[in-house]
Amino acid sequence: MLKNWINIFIYQLKHNKLFNILNILGLSIGIAGLIFATLYWNDEYSYDKWNPEKDKTFIVMNNVGKGNIFATNSAITAPLLKSSTPYVDNYCYFNDYYTKETVQYDGKIEIIDKIFSAQKNFFSFFPFEFKYGNPKTVLQEPQSIVFSEETAFHLFKNENPVGKQVKYADKMYVVRGVYRIPGKSVVMPSAVTNSIEEDLEKQKDHWGFNFGLVIKLNKKSDAPLVAKSLDEIFIEKNYKRQARKEGMTLELFIKTYGEPLKTIVIPFENSRLITGSYPFPEGTGNLQFLRILMGLSIVILLLSIVNYINLATANAIKRAKEVGVRKIIGATKGQIVLQFVFETALTMLFALLLALVIVEVSLPFYNQFLNKELVIAGSQFYLQLVVIFILVVIVSGVFPAVYISNFEVLNVLKGNFSHSKSGLWLRNSMLILQFSIAVFFIIGSIVVYQQVQFMVEKDLGFNGSQIMNITFRAQKDKEQFKRYQTIKEEINKIEGVEAVSAGAFAIGENWSSRGGLHYKNIPEVLIQQLGSDFGMLEMLGVKLVKGRFLTEKLASDTISNVLLNEVAVEKINEKNPLDKIIDWQGGKYKVVGIVKDFHYYGLDYEISPMIFFHINTQKWTQGNIESISVKISPKNMQQTISELKAYWSKKVDSEYPFEYNFLDKNFARTYRKYEDQRNLFALLNIVVILIAVFGLFALASFSMERRLKEIAIRKTLGAETNILLKELSKQYVIFCILGFFIGIVPAYLLLQKWLKNFPFRIDITLLPFFLAFVSLLFLTLTIVLVKAYQVTKVDVLKYLKYE
Amino acid sequence: MITITKLSKVFRTEELETKALSEISLTINQGDFVSIMGPSGSGKSTLLNIIGLLDSASSGSYKLLDQEMVGLKEKSRAQARKENIGFIFQNFNLIDELSVFDNIELPLIYNNVPSAERKSRVNEIAKILGIAHRLKHFPQQLSGGQQQRVAVARALINNPKIILADEPTGNLDSRNGNEVMELLTDLHAGGSTILMVTHSDYDASFSQRTILMKDGEILSEKVNHRNVDVLVTANN
Repeated sequence: MLKNWINIFIYQLKHNKLFNILNILGLSIGIAGLIFATLYWNDEYSYDKWNPEKDKTFIVMNNVGKGNIFATNSAITAPLLKSSTPYVDNYCYFNDYYTKETVQYDGKIEIIDKIFSAQKNFFSFFPFEFKYGNPKTVLQEPQSIVFSEETAFHLFKNENPVGKQVKYADKMYVVRGVYRIPGKSVVMPSAVTNSIEEDLEKQKDHWGFNFGLVIKLNKKSDAPLVAKSLDEIFIEKNYKRQARKEGMTLELFIKTYGEPLKTIVIPFENSRLITGSYPFPEGTGNLQFLRILMGLSIVILLLSIVNYINLATANAIKRAKEVGVRKIIGATKGQIVLQFVFETALTMLFALLLALVIVEVSLPFYNQFLNKELVIAGSQFYLQLVVIFILVVIVSGVFPAVYISNFEVLNVLKGNFSHSKSGLWLRNSMLILQFSIAVFFIIGSIVVYQQVQFMVEKDLGFNGSQIMNITFRAQKDKEQFKRYQTIKEEINKIEGVEAVSAGAFAIGENWSSRGGLHYKNIPEVLIQQLGSDFGMLEMLGVKLVKGRFLTEKLASDTISNVLLNEVAVEKINEKNPLDKIIDWQGGKYKVVGIVKDFHYYGLDYEISPMIFFHINTQKWTQGNIESISVKISPKNMQQTISELKAYWSKKVDSEYPFEYNFLDKNFARTYRKYEDQRNLFALLNIVVILIAVFGLFALASFSMERRLKEIAIRKTLGAETNILLKELSKQYVIFCILGFFIGIVPAYLLLQKWLKNFPFRIDITLLPFFLAFVSLLFLTLTIVLVKAYQVTKVDVLKYLKYE
Repeated sequence: MITITKLSKVFRTEELETKALSEISLTINQGDFVSIMGPSGSGKSTLLNIIGLLDSASSGSYKLLDQEMVGLKEKSRAQARKENIGFIFQNFNLIDELSVFDNIELPLIYNNVPSAERKSRVNEIAKILGIAHRLKHFPQQLSGGQQQRVAVARALINNPKIILADEPTGNLDSRNGNEVMELLTDLHAGGSTILMVTHSDYDASFSQRTILMKDGEILSEKVNHRNVDVLVTANN
């Protein structure tokens, strides 16, 4: 039986080469998209799969209101939670970032990226495999460090390093172990220290939210109770105390300063696919992108399946005789269904193989695009492949098969079946569906393009084209600001340097310092604190709205004068903010200028309220100087940079290499994500339109060829070509318009949703809709008219004679 | 073998009720070769379709091998058809996309005959019908007579109890037509039961009995004599 089925399948394949190839191609692109999405999905879900502690572990974060979620915690809460409640088995504070630093051993200096710091029981939360050392005790003693296998090899080659001393961050550390990370994890450090214990000790009574926190619970179901207890701790130890200090009741304090924060306790397992704040330094996966990719590939696959169903049912009429004969000879309905499902399965097998080829070939590009190292492997993946295959076969195969098996034998054999309208409504509604999908994609790519273009062209409020940020590492027992002042003087002498400044912040990098600001009876404003040397804002080209910038000529500018940005002024609700006094950092400060808003984080985020002050105003910020900004003249840039480098490695930092970034580059990075999405959408758009066009062409060819006799009769009766063309293409134009109106609704809604990601976004105008309509109609008319013209040139005699 | 009593078939449309067959009674015995004649619309094809279990009767009784067929479900009818009846059509109804071998083999596949046996049986019948050298060809590459031989081979492969032929020579020239009729005669001589619908007196003369139909009723039944055989052979 199989041989018989295969024979007829091969015959059909041979005799409809073009259609079959295009069909398989479309299907394989759809399946390839789904495979890509699946690979990505698997990768994201493989994080910490190996970790046996994952289901007992929970992450603690803090919702401070107004959409701000701190991924970090105060050093106060966890010890208190453990001692005062029965829920917690264990907790571990850790830094939510990696450090890039030099490590010295035996006179050799290596730069090590991804140095991580956590409390001593870290390895009971992340039980890495240990090559040397005991995971229970490696971080027990102060000044302990453990290395990953690779890093240990860099530093010590094949020696056992346990007990050796290395210099890191100007301190001596003892190597206690070497580990191997068993699989992907949200923490994949190259070295782990326990230096955080010192910070925790220093801040044990401090409500600064500086540390990531994971806890292990005795009972998983206790998570909500933990959150509740932490909320209570916050009110008890923070709000109530502050209220007492200010002589207020708790209620009044809440009214004045806003609601207390709400603790969030989420399971660690699969937490990588949450959106928003996340404490682990490897960050979260791009869930939205994953969803978009998944959705779009399913849509493309659906489109190809629709094509397949359409062609299969259309073709079925040609095969009605075969089916009729088979039935008379004794085939049951089940056997006919099975035969056609089998054919679908064969077609899908081709498509699947082709899809795997496509995936294999384009995987390097995809990996580059996602910044990942995905491979086609794993039993899980092959199992998913089988599931995808079966699903596709069922969705696309069963329907045409059942349709075919229901042919009435007598009708078929009487010979007038080929003109029946059977299945017409189905094919037409499928066509309309295809039109609406195409409309969705055309509108989608136009809107995405517009939004990305808008972001690229938008004025950010500062000019970073000639500004380079040079990494400026702290040195032991030396004050950063003093060192900077010396360096500034020296650098200014280099030819081509136009300005030098430094601040306790870095535009385009994702960290910042925030504090509370009070003004009159306005609730506390969480304000971004940007301390810098004089001339920083001027160098950045930030514009002034009112008042003046800070200047070294006035002594008070380094003591009590500050600037605000427009958002901050709006928040404190003051029409005339100049010379007004605000409460901030426990002191009174005078506002001397208002700065025009600029985009500190790029267009991904709202502009926060900001306060600008001289770095001497708040001595603690001086430690946050991590880079020096230098504006250089575009002339002889290379020369200037190499002179800077020479000076830097001789006078400033001989250990750490000269490292710099142009401010523009920092920003370009933040756009790439969206430019990638735009390009992806454009590519998919082309694919979708090609598939839809092919579907339309195939269907139009098919149904027009069914009408050849009718056309021949009409021609004999004297119909002119253009009347015939109109007659033939009319219905497709109607389908196109119907499809357009069906397609615009989901297009509008989904694009609105996508645009909501952007605080700064375009409005959806009529233009994309208009363009989509015109281009789709144009495509439809071109295809249909070409085919129709071809059909009207038919040899009249041939068809009148034979039918 | 076939006993039909008071069989009627009524076609109903919204306005019209047409009696295609009205209370026909007919018996066909094992080994009979019967032809049905009559003008267009006389109901002969309808009768053949009902006997072939492709169509169902409105009332009356149709017993095939002493089993009542009227009122049977489609599934059991298909089963009875598969086991007992072989068809030969005017337009051959071969599957163009399958080779001659595959076409003939088809009924065996649907009757779950094992592959090795299928092969030998197809070869055997092809040899008998003189189409053994054509097994690898496709129907379109064959002459009309050869195509009809393939159709006959397919009808016979399953050893059906009765062969139904619907104008088997209608699409053939006289020489090819003759060949097919001789084939049927030979089959009959070998013991097959054949029921044939035809327009042609000449073709009908090959059979033992001719039933003449008009307006859904049987007008007459006559017994043929085989003397024409000699005459035709002489003319050839």
